[in-house]
Amino acid sequence: MGTDDVPLDDKAKRMRDLLSSFYSPDPSSTPNAPSKYGILDAINTSSFDPDQYMNLLVQKSNLEALLQRHVEMAAEIKNLDTDLQMLVYENYNKFISATDAIKRMKSNIIGMEGNMQQLLDKIMSVQSRSDGVNTSLFEKREHIEKLHRTRNLLRKVQFIYDLPARLGRCIKSEAYADAVKFYTGAMPIFKVYGDSSFQDCKRASEEAVAIIVKNLQVDSLQAKLLEKLEQSLGDLRLKTDEIENVSLESNDTSKLGKVSDSIPTTAHEASVREFAEAIRAYRVIFPDSERQLITLAEDLVIKHFEMTKQYIKRRISSANLLGVLRTIWADVLLMDEVLCEAVLPDFSLEAAKDAVKLYVARTFTYLLQDISDALLKVNVKPKEAAEEHPLQVALEASKKAVLQGSMDVLLDFRQLLDDDLGLLVKLRDFIIDWVQEGFQDFFRALDDHFLLLSGRKNLSSQDHGLTEGVHVEKVLAGLVLVLAQLSVFIEQTAIPRITEEIAASFSGGGARGYENGPAFVPGEICRIFRSAGEKLLHHYINMRTQKVSTLLRKRFTTPNWVKHKEPREVHMFVDLFLQESKAIGCEVNQILPQGHLRKHRRSDSNGSTTSSRSNPLRDDKMSRSNTQRARSQLLETHLAKLFKQKVEIFTKVEHTQESVITTTVKLCLKSLQEFVRLQTFNRSGFQQIQLDIQFLRTPLKESVEDEAAIDFLLDEVIVAASERCLDPIPLEPPILDRLIQAKLVKSKEPNPITP
Amino acid sequence: MQGGSSGIGYGLKYQARCISDVKADTDHTSFITGTLSLREENEVHLIRLSSGGTELICEGLFSHPNEIWDLSSCPFDQRIFSTVFSTGESYGAAIWQIPELYGQLNSPQLERIASLDAHVGKINCVLWWPSGRHDKLISIDDENLFLWSLDCSKKAAQVQSKESSGMLHYLSGGAWDPHDVNAVAATCESSVQFWDLRTMKKTSAIERAHIRNANYDMKKKHILVTAEDESGIHIWDLRKPKIPVKELPGHTHWTWAVTCNPEYDGLILSAGTDSTVNLWLAPISAGDEPNSEGIAESPTQQADPLLNSYSDYEDSVYGLAWSSREPWIFASLSYDGRVVVESIKPFLSRK
Repeated sequence: MGTDDVPLDDKAKRMRDLLSSFYSPDPSSTPNAPSKYGILDAINTSSFDPDQYMNLLVQKSNLEALLQRHVEMAAEIKNLDTDLQMLVYENYNKFISATDAIKRMKSNIIGMEGNMQQLLDKIMSVQSRSDGVNTSLFEKREHIEKLHRTRNLLRKVQFIYDLPARLGRCIKSEAYADAVKFYTGAMPIFKVYGDSSFQDCKRASEEAVAIIVKNLQVDSLQAKLLEKLEQSLGDLRLKTDEIENVSLESNDTSKLGKVSDSIPTTAHEASVREFAEAIRAYRVIFPDSERQLITLAEDLVIKHFEMTKQYIKRRISSANLLGVLRTIWADVLLMDEVLCEAVLPDFSLEAAKDAVKLYVARTFTYLLQDISDALLKVNVKPKEAAEEHPLQVALEASKKAVLQGSMDVLLDFRQLLDDDLGLLVKLRDFIIDWVQEGFQDFFRALDDHFLLLSGRKNLSSQDHGLTEGVHVEKVLAGLVLVLAQLSVFIEQTAIPRITEEIAASFSGGGARGYENGPAFVPGEICRIFRSAGEKLLHHYINMRTQKVSTLLRKRFTTPNWVKHKEPREVHMFVDLFLQESKAIGCEVNQILPQGHLRKHRRSDSNGSTTSSRSNPLRDDKMSRSNTQRARSQLLETHLAKLFKQKVEIFTKVEHTQESVITTTVKLCLKSLQEFVRLQTFNRSGFQQIQLDIQFLRTPLKESVEDEAAIDFLLDEVIVAASERCLDPIPLEPPILDRLIQAKLVKSKEPNPITP
Repeated sequence: MQGGSSGIGYGLKYQARCISDVKADTDHTSFITGTLSLREENEVHLIRLSSGGTELICEGLFSHPNEIWDLSSCPFDQRIFSTVFSTGESYGAAIWQIPELYGQLNSPQLERIASLDAHVGKINCVLWWPSGRHDKLISIDDENLFLWSLDCSKKAAQVQSKESSGMLHYLSGGAWDPHDVNAVAATCESSVQFWDLRTMKKTSAIERAHIRNANYDMKKKHILVTAEDESGIHIWDLRKPKIPVKELPGHTHWTWAVTCNPEYDGLILSAGTDSTVNLWLAPISAGDEPNSEGIAESPTQQADPLLNSYSDYEDSVYGLAWSSREPWIFASLSYDGRVVVESIKPFLSRK
């Protein structure tokens, strides 16, 4: 009964407490101290006084309560009785099952004794049998063991007898190690029996061993010398390292403490000289050991260049590289004197080719990294508005990074070319090609990188190591604009400069073969960057208009235009729109040059489209009766279009402030028109649009170059709204003016939006 | 207005948005289009290209009670078509039949076969299964997708099943897979959802914002072309919904409609709000994996995918339809109510 844990009602809980206190041996464990509690609650404690309880009850309660108490108590008593009974039953059941278990155990245990006895008997008989087998086989085993011993002995004797012949064979095959092993194995036997039974054998073996000893002496000398040479090679390697450190010192004084001055270059030279001397001596002693020596020397060169490559990875200037190459070349020349068979110069030329190529490639990688860093600074601190023109700063920095970086790189390579080191003189053609190729590849990579930074090419970016830090989603529109302008800069300024520089000092080459032409094709690069510049500019405009589109989409899809209320003020999306266009203007003014088209375009458009065709429509047609209007309106539209020069909405974008702003605003207004066309308006909705557009007119025209087009587009929006309106009655001009004035006043107070 | 254009023009009385190829008409190349005028009496025009291919003839002119936002012709009966219309305040969708012998009648009335009247919100489109006779119809409104079973002889349409697109997914349109009668793509604000009509459940989705229009490749399975407001045209392989197989730049302003040629591989037409129609050639080869794009990109860059840009329009082009009878002919409809039929034959030779 007490197994379930569900919360019991008070009564049942009290019941349980009662029962448990009944069973618990220690009465003090009941927590209720009677004095503390009301006497009526003391009924459950051990110190319960029935008389007192009764008195209290009678005193405190009226008859009805007493009767109820009586009924309650009777029921409780009854319940307690049943519970007690249940408990007894339960315990009784357990007792009965325990008795049963004991009975079963007793009956089972009776048969067991007999079985145990049987088991014991069987084990005894097994033991006696095994003893019998053991004794009967004992004699035979003894015999076999003896035979085995004899056989081993005989084998040894055989070995001794065969030893001289075997030693002879080993000498022939020059397996001296084996021979020595055999001989030392046989030594103890010779010592004991050498004077008697195995005399002949012993003598023959000793002779053979004497031959071996003689042979071995020559060989080991050679091996030891070689080893020594190798050791000195290891030393040399270490010293190369030091040389590098020394050359580092020249521009990094902080490392002075680390490298002691006591190891000048001459120490290295001395040790190389020593090495060369050793080789010379070695050759004199062992005339036919060239193969090994050549491998050794080549090994040295390879190690040198491996170190160089490691070194190159640490971003060094070509002066440092030159230092290292010079040292290596000196070593090589030294060794060539003593070991001209190795053709070490050619060998090291090959290795140097790799190293220099690596160096060129690394340099370009670093250049790319620098430019990318300069660009990403826009991303890092867009909010730190301490600088007034963060975009401009970034653009200037990256321009400098491109031009100055390229010039530095070229200068660096010039050093390589101008050096008269024999190694580099031979590599000159290669270097020229590599540099040209490097620039070609570099600009291609830069273009790729631009696209990547602008977020246009976020698809196959996994193989780009440089871009790990860039979060493609969070590309700033400003960055795209900077990239666009940088592309133009590269196309118009950087490439010609670099071409000039290359032509001046890196012409020639030709190791690539004539059919391929020069590796650096400025025309192609220019083309790439021109298209990149256009693409990026478009992308910028796209990003900007997308933002406005989202704004407009919200504006037009949210309200129910058919049930629009009368316009009370200019809607706030206009503010947002103007803010956005202002932001664009701000970015654009930082980056792009001013166009010179302004005056020209304006006068042009003034001539052709004096007042847009929509104007008469707005003034006259709207006030006419409803039924006739739409038809004549459409007709009028067509007619107007026939007679009017088509306003070019989508003109080519140029890299000028005005062009970009105009294009963006045009695109946004076109979007506005399209959104309007998708809705249906009631009169008030139409009037709201009319009001908003009217308000936009002035500030937009102020900021935009192509006034005619803007006027046209704004009118188009109003026309579209009137076409999509169930009851197109425009606002009266005075009301329109008043609302606009109200808005102007309001917007001037907190933060002026209109200039 | 013709301005050296090769197209054949036809003017509607009012503004219009939608045009559809009459697929079931195997004898003529004809299109059906309807006007969008809020306050006037709207019309449905049945237009036929003359046998010489030099003229557009009005074959039928019917009045339609409300402005038409979507219109599509039944692929197996040339006299049946569906429209989505609006009174300005409420939306409706219906299946219509062009009356027989309409040539002899003075003012023929369209016969309403069925009203698809289970919708509450803004209805976007009605879809027929593009590949032939099928007695089901799909209609899409802002929040729901309905599957109707249509009985033309009994003139009745019943809702077979209905499913809501889920919270905050406002549907805007859709396309029915011509290769799989049970697959439908529905465009919504932030993605393209793919539905299985048997279970009426979403199977997958392409996460992409602001898709205006989607169209399945008629020839190749699993290929879907989408048009987006600002970011042009994307071609998707539905087995790899993460990354588009190809991107086309689209239009200067929004790309409104896109449609694949029913016959020639990789020919895509797009219409935009910059008043142009662009013809693209973007074949998807079998090995055109998205991750090999770096290699595949260079040849496509060399050959400009844009074959031609038809720019002789006065207003945004919303309606676009290939003729399925003569797949080198397409009709386009600009907002000012001008139908222009063009032939792309000069560009076919370049393939």
